[in-house]
Amino acid sequence: MNELVVMVIAPLLAGVLAWLLDVRGIKEALGVLGAAVPLGYAAVLYERAGEGINVAYTLGGFQITFALNQLSWFFIGIAALVGFTAVLAMVSTAKSSYEWLFALMSLSGVLGVFLANDLMTFFIFWEIMTFASFMMVLKYNKGASLKYFLLSVFGAYAMLIAIGIIYAKLGTFEFSAVQQAMYRDAYAVMLGGQGLFTKGETALIYLLFIIAFGVKAGAFPLHVWAPDAYSETNQSYTSFFSGALSKAGVYGFILMYILMGAKLTYEFGAFRSTTKFGYIIAFIGGLTIVVGGLLAALQEDIRKLFAYSSISQLGYILVGIGVGTALSMQAALFHALSHALFKGLFFLIVATIVYRTGKTEFKDMGGLAEKMPFTFAMAFIAILSLAGIPPLVGFASKWVLFEAVISQNLPILGGFVFFGSAIGFVYLIRFTYAVWFGQRPTDLDDTKDAPLPMAIAMGILALGNVLFGIAPGLVARELNKIFGREVIGGTLYVLDLGFGKYNALLLTIWLVIGIIIAGIVYFMGAKVRRIPVTDTYQAGNPITMDYNLTIRRNFFLPLKETLAFWLRMSFDRLYRDVGRYVEDLAETLRSYIYNGNVQSYAWYLAIVLLILALWGV
Amino acid sequence: MIETALKALFILLYATFVGFMFMGIIRIVTARVHRRVGPPIYQPILDTLKLLGKKENITHGLIYDFGVIYALGATILALMFIPLGGVGILRAYGDLILITFLLEIPMLGIMFAAMSSGNPWAGLGAQRALLTLLAIQVPLGFAIVALAEFYGTFSTYQIVAAQQAMGWSITHLPLLLAAIAYDLVLQAMFGKEPFDIMIAPGEISLGPMVEFGGKHMGILQIQHAIALFAETLFFANIFLGGAVVTVFASPILNTIASLAILLVKQIAVLLIATLMATIFPRFTIDQAAKFYWKWPTILAALGAVLASL
Repeated sequence: MNELVVMVIAPLLAGVLAWLLDVRGIKEALGVLGAAVPLGYAAVLYERAGEGINVAYTLGGFQITFALNQLSWFFIGIAALVGFTAVLAMVSTAKSSYEWLFALMSLSGVLGVFLANDLMTFFIFWEIMTFASFMMVLKYNKGASLKYFLLSVFGAYAMLIAIGIIYAKLGTFEFSAVQQAMYRDAYAVMLGGQGLFTKGETALIYLLFIIAFGVKAGAFPLHVWAPDAYSETNQSYTSFFSGALSKAGVYGFILMYILMGAKLTYEFGAFRSTTKFGYIIAFIGGLTIVVGGLLAALQEDIRKLFAYSSISQLGYILVGIGVGTALSMQAALFHALSHALFKGLFFLIVATIVYRTGKTEFKDMGGLAEKMPFTFAMAFIAILSLAGIPPLVGFASKWVLFEAVISQNLPILGGFVFFGSAIGFVYLIRFTYAVWFGQRPTDLDDTKDAPLPMAIAMGILALGNVLFGIAPGLVARELNKIFGREVIGGTLYVLDLGFGKYNALLLTIWLVIGIIIAGIVYFMGAKVRRIPVTDTYQAGNPITMDYNLTIRRNFFLPLKETLAFWLRMSFDRLYRDVGRYVEDLAETLRSYIYNGNVQSYAWYLAIVLLILALWGV
Repeated sequence: MIETALKALFILLYATFVGFMFMGIIRIVTARVHRRVGPPIYQPILDTLKLLGKKENITHGLIYDFGVIYALGATILALMFIPLGGVGILRAYGDLILITFLLEIPMLGIMFAAMSSGNPWAGLGAQRALLTLLAIQVPLGFAIVALAEFYGTFSTYQIVAAQQAMGWSITHLPLLLAAIAYDLVLQAMFGKEPFDIMIAPGEISLGPMVEFGGKHMGILQIQHAIALFAETLFFANIFLGGAVVTVFASPILNTIASLAILLVKQIAVLLIATLMATIFPRFTIDQAAKFYWKWPTILAALGAVLASL
């Protein structure tokens, strides 16, 4: 059997077996094994990704085709790594074999999406991925899962219509064939001939694809499912949900560029130094950064905070993709990797906290750093990485993105990404303060540190954050391979864009030197005496543990007040209202049309006959 | 290797000394505006020495110590990347975006240390500091974007070199707008009125600094001195033409001359900030956010758009 097929099927098979056997110990082993196979294969196939592997099967009248190239290998690597760590953490947190089945099924779905080589295979695995993740949410919260399902279905059928239009015109699903046909079409129109697709049709396909991929990526204003779905499920699974599943949307956008970039560019023209259709994507990305970030800062639930943060970070990737130069594409891919690494880590940390304390709201937590030092250390790395603190991977990818956007003379997008980095800082410190520091509620006094499988999973991702941060050249080299030329120059430690340089190793060395100098000053001073958290300045008053001195609720109240006007507008509410309106309409139609009166049914028949008579049947 | 080490040591000592002098100048100027005599210029050094010499220090845990050390370490790191006349050691990597970020990360250390103390005033101060950071980021971002787009490079050193040929940044209209916005941002970065909301003496008992005493506070004083030096230096480099003196035959004379020119420019930046601080009362945090998201943002965004045309 072909490697690619094994890679896609293995998790699903393991999931089904784990579900059927349902024996404690065996299902965990099966699950981890199922997730380890794609990771192993991704490593083995690394060398061969350059030459490309193709495989095709005929199944139910459809060609199922898979192909591995540099780009899909990059995404496979992300999905397999995050999938493996998430599954490892699920050993501790999974409550039933049901979760093993669907978590592994969605891993299969994601791998299938990245490996698909034609639109139909892409769609089928897209649906498997959506269904499995829906089932994961359904187990925990019905309302959240339905919201996710409705929007996903909306997106998926938008995609189906777009695929249908393409197939009707071109008669093929195959990526390379579609791509060539689109190229030819763009050239034909450019030379004054008659294209297959009119301008209106091209715009329609573009719009449908934006909806389809925007939903999965959580782009504003289609992001409303994400905060509920990310929070109302097994948090270990969310690490994969946010880390890898959302990348399917990103991959979709890149696919749209590959398939019909030339056509779209030609039909809609350029905007400043980028394309008009790309600028729209980038602008949506910019709004996503700001909206996601601001809402993250105002959340009172640890899972919701990271859900919004995940939305915000995906906005960066969309900005990079939208700007559309080779450099900005690379920046987007780089950030996709670092987002998977630090957000995967963050959700594992959340999973650990939820697993050990059973609480999710900021108001119930505090002072956990002493009780869970390992998890705190992991959180420290994740915080530095997400906030974009050199020398971790979050900074390297953001830096490339900043320079890619600004060097294209796009000032408004530049403003968006700057704001996004500050807001990232803001909500992370809030998380740090409320969860790790300050007084500890007495019911958390015997909290233990992370269990071993979760600790290993967190360790793997944290190592990735540090390693790719100090040696960003490792990633840049892979990205250059995708484009077949040296877009980001430099060595293992240096990123060189021509107009800007970043040396991660030198920076690390100087940071260490700086800390050593500061440490010398510190250790030259007199000894320190450890004092308890209640022995603190409270306007000169004595205090005991009965007073709550840690601000846990509404930490960013002034921000809320400043933004009061903007917060009154909510897309969540808009969708709810539309949903309610549709329900009312259905109710009205039901009571008027199916009114239980035999005579009115006779009238319907008469009207239909009248219409047919007028038609001349 | 030895040469790099010597240069680094020189930069560090020079920045610390001048930074402390800056702190002294701020106190003297403020005093003179109030018709007082004020302390001697070396007063901040004495204060810091006293703090470092305390016989007993307290701690609230590992992060409480590490945060403070990290803050100073990160400030030293930022300093190394900013071109100081001809002396900079990492100036080839002195990227605009990098330095902008590096100037912010010491705050992370201070926040971590302050928050781990569990003091409610520290929490409140951290909240205000973060919202100030968020507020200034918009005009700051646009100002940096304007610079990068105008010069087409992100290298601070190349921007300094370009200004030798084309005149100071502030003589070009788009960059003048950006410079005004950046100068307003500096007020918050220095922690001066009307934007000293984060520290807010008299209002929230020094905010994040409330629990620090002894050597922790001493280290933060050193950090503040170096940060003052680094921030004014960065501003002088990107907007006021920096300094590259080559008229003398001897490299040492050239270095001294460029340091002197930079010093004058830095003091000019400092004086504007100090004089502004002496006459304005403090804003509340929501006023600050609304202010920064209005005028400086409009100015800087206009500059960025003009620079990109």
